[in-house]
Amino acid sequence: MTVQIGFLVNPIAGMGGRVGLKGTDGVLKKAVMLGAKPIAPQKAEEMLREFCVISTNHRDLQWITCGGDMGNSELESVGIKNKQVVYSPSENTTSTDDTKNACKKFLEHHIDLLVFCGGDGTTRDIFTIVDKKIPLLGIPAGVKMHSGIFGINTTAAAKMLHEFINGRLTIGDAEIMDLDEELYRRGEWKVRLFGVAKGIVEPTYIQVGKACFESVSDDEVKDELAEHINDELEKHPEWLFLFCSGGTIDYIAKKLNIQHTLLGIDAIYQKQLIGKDVNEEQILTLLKKYPKTKILLSPIGAQGFILGRGNLQLSPAVINKIGVDNIIVVATPSKLMHTSILRVDTGDKKLDRLFATQGYLMVVIGYRLSRVVNLQTNSF
Amino acid sequence: MMTQITKRNANKFLKDEYDDLVKNHLEWNIRVLESGSKPHSIVNGKEVIMMCSNNYLNLSNHPRLIKGSIEAAKKYGAGSGSVRGIAGTLQIHTEVEKRLARFKRTESALVYQTGFAANAGLIPQLVGDGDIVISDKLNHGSIIDGVRLSKAERAVYEHRDMSDLEKVLKDADKKYRRILIITDGVFSMDGDIAPMDKIVKLANEYGAMTYVDDAHGEGVIGPDGRGIGAHFHIEGKIDVEMGTFSKAFGVVGGLIAGSQDLVNFAYNKSRTWLLSGSHPPAVSGAQLAAIDVLETEPEHVKRLWDNTKYFKNELKSLGFNTGESETPITPVIVGEPGKAKELSNRLYDEGVFALPIVFPMVARDKARIRTMMNAGLTQKDLDFALDKFEKLGKQLSII
Repeated sequence: MTVQIGFLVNPIAGMGGRVGLKGTDGVLKKAVMLGAKPIAPQKAEEMLREFCVISTNHRDLQWITCGGDMGNSELESVGIKNKQVVYSPSENTTSTDDTKNACKKFLEHHIDLLVFCGGDGTTRDIFTIVDKKIPLLGIPAGVKMHSGIFGINTTAAAKMLHEFINGRLTIGDAEIMDLDEELYRRGEWKVRLFGVAKGIVEPTYIQVGKACFESVSDDEVKDELAEHINDELEKHPEWLFLFCSGGTIDYIAKKLNIQHTLLGIDAIYQKQLIGKDVNEEQILTLLKKYPKTKILLSPIGAQGFILGRGNLQLSPAVINKIGVDNIIVVATPSKLMHTSILRVDTGDKKLDRLFATQGYLMVVIGYRLSRVVNLQTNSF
Repeated sequence: MMTQITKRNANKFLKDEYDDLVKNHLEWNIRVLESGSKPHSIVNGKEVIMMCSNNYLNLSNHPRLIKGSIEAAKKYGAGSGSVRGIAGTLQIHTEVEKRLARFKRTESALVYQTGFAANAGLIPQLVGDGDIVISDKLNHGSIIDGVRLSKAERAVYEHRDMSDLEKVLKDADKKYRRILIITDGVFSMDGDIAPMDKIVKLANEYGAMTYVDDAHGEGVIGPDGRGIGAHFHIEGKIDVEMGTFSKAFGVVGGLIAGSQDLVNFAYNKSRTWLLSGSHPPAVSGAQLAAIDVLETEPEHVKRLWDNTKYFKNELKSLGFNTGESETPITPVIVGEPGKAKELSNRLYDEGVFALPIVFPMVARDKARIRTMMNAGLTQKDLDFALDKFEKLGKQLSII
């Protein structure tokens, strides 16, 4: 059976980096004036070249792409023949609209995977159109890569593509992050979760026989996590639980029949939703009424942040009141393969130091199963 | 004729699931040994040098074990008639346990039907609700199943990583009633050994109980093959030394060695022990003889190690990567899974029987042939096997 791979390059992605701008969203002209050169086409070609080296059988592969340097010329330059152009950009300068329009065409062609080269901005544009309908694989070219769908470099992306085509990788959740570029250029971090897309992940394996393993889907692992959290809720009926943002926690909440806010924090008491999408002030009010509270967190995005990028409602005041010991971190093993380290940046030095002194957190990775994951504070 | 309307085909899944396994090449192809498990075995009609049995000391063919078996059968009959708890404890069963404790230099010992039965029966009794089991990441499947039967929480630490273990202990110390650290003694894939001395030290610091599954160490490591406790000179300091009679001892059956309190607790609470029939006398007779042989004929353990050292060194000097093994389990790491399978097939054709181990049992690029040494193999046998490894290793561009 032929595998259809969508291929899209955002040629202007990554141009801000070398000239000290963080991202090209909205400041392309300035970047060009500062002497910025296109990076993404080169990165895309690098990845394709590496892919051609490790993957020799291209007969069953059909590339669906866009005209010019939005994909076609990169495929051409490495000698890939079995391709079809389904969208051509209208002007010389590509834009958000081009990315979005190309994605609409990709949807019509029912592609199996969309490989793209760009940054977080490109990812958000793509996600807006394809949502969870097509799994994504990013070749990093942009300045900020917080989203979980990128290979860590072109080599890793080429390998992942190869493994996916050979059926050795599976489809799982990957978070798309959003950073306010205006604020970022002024030196402020404001990252939040934008949405949960489909990405390609390493399956989790469990030993079923003496020398025999079975791969488990991402959803099966999350079912186990949900069962674990269900036990926690039942064991502690007097506790308030704050379910934070993220794909894994959203899945758990749905499993427990709780209407959860994917991008926000919800307050759960005795399995009932008592506060939806609560802000810092509302949380502090709740804490007066419920002195015993646990926070349910999951690392978000590619860098493994649990505090400080997203979940900004969990201010130092909130965390101090609840207590570091009352944080439950959950993550699927496939996610931890991406982020071998958890990061915390609460903005409060004393609190960060408290995390730093401990140096690690226990992370729940299955039903009643946890492991140590090392912790890093205020570094990036 | 009336058509019977059935609600569902109750047995359809049997064939469907088996067909699926076959399609994915995951089914077990059972190989039949027409000989006994011998250094030269007849496997599927072909004579091969056996390099994948657990019969490390070749005791399964030892005349004293065979004799012990026959005599016990003559004296006590073919079966035991009951479970141990009711009317199935024969004098020979208790004799094995006494001799075993003496051999292990522990206060007491208990024999289970199998090693699996020991893990699956005892672990869930040692820890329950409000407790935690801390487990090496690469522990054997029967431990994992034993832990699953318990209501305790589980935490894993990185393979043989003591700083990781200490982190988990520190965290567990605050939260749980009882803490059990559990590890394989010798890890069956890589042949490396758990740092039991350090584990015991950490366990004492944090008030944790220690449990070691020494299936591949029993009869192999330590002075006279007395296992991992003896290997680290900490006999009696590991709370539960669990092992098996099915590997180096050459028979079958699980065992635990430790304090009298442990044994009293274990046989009163292990459901596997209480609810399955006890060993036939012939099994116990062979077990008893195996302990005899280990205590009086040190040459078997010595030959096993001489063979191991020779084979490992020769493989290394041929240019093979043999990993970090410290035991008679020697992996020959070849890289690609396809290559490992090919090498195993060709070795069999050439008369050497050793099986490939591939992803996900080991990392994708660490596919290997796992060889297991046997004290009954002669220098000539080893040279024969090495010759084949060299020839095929070159053919497949491994060396």
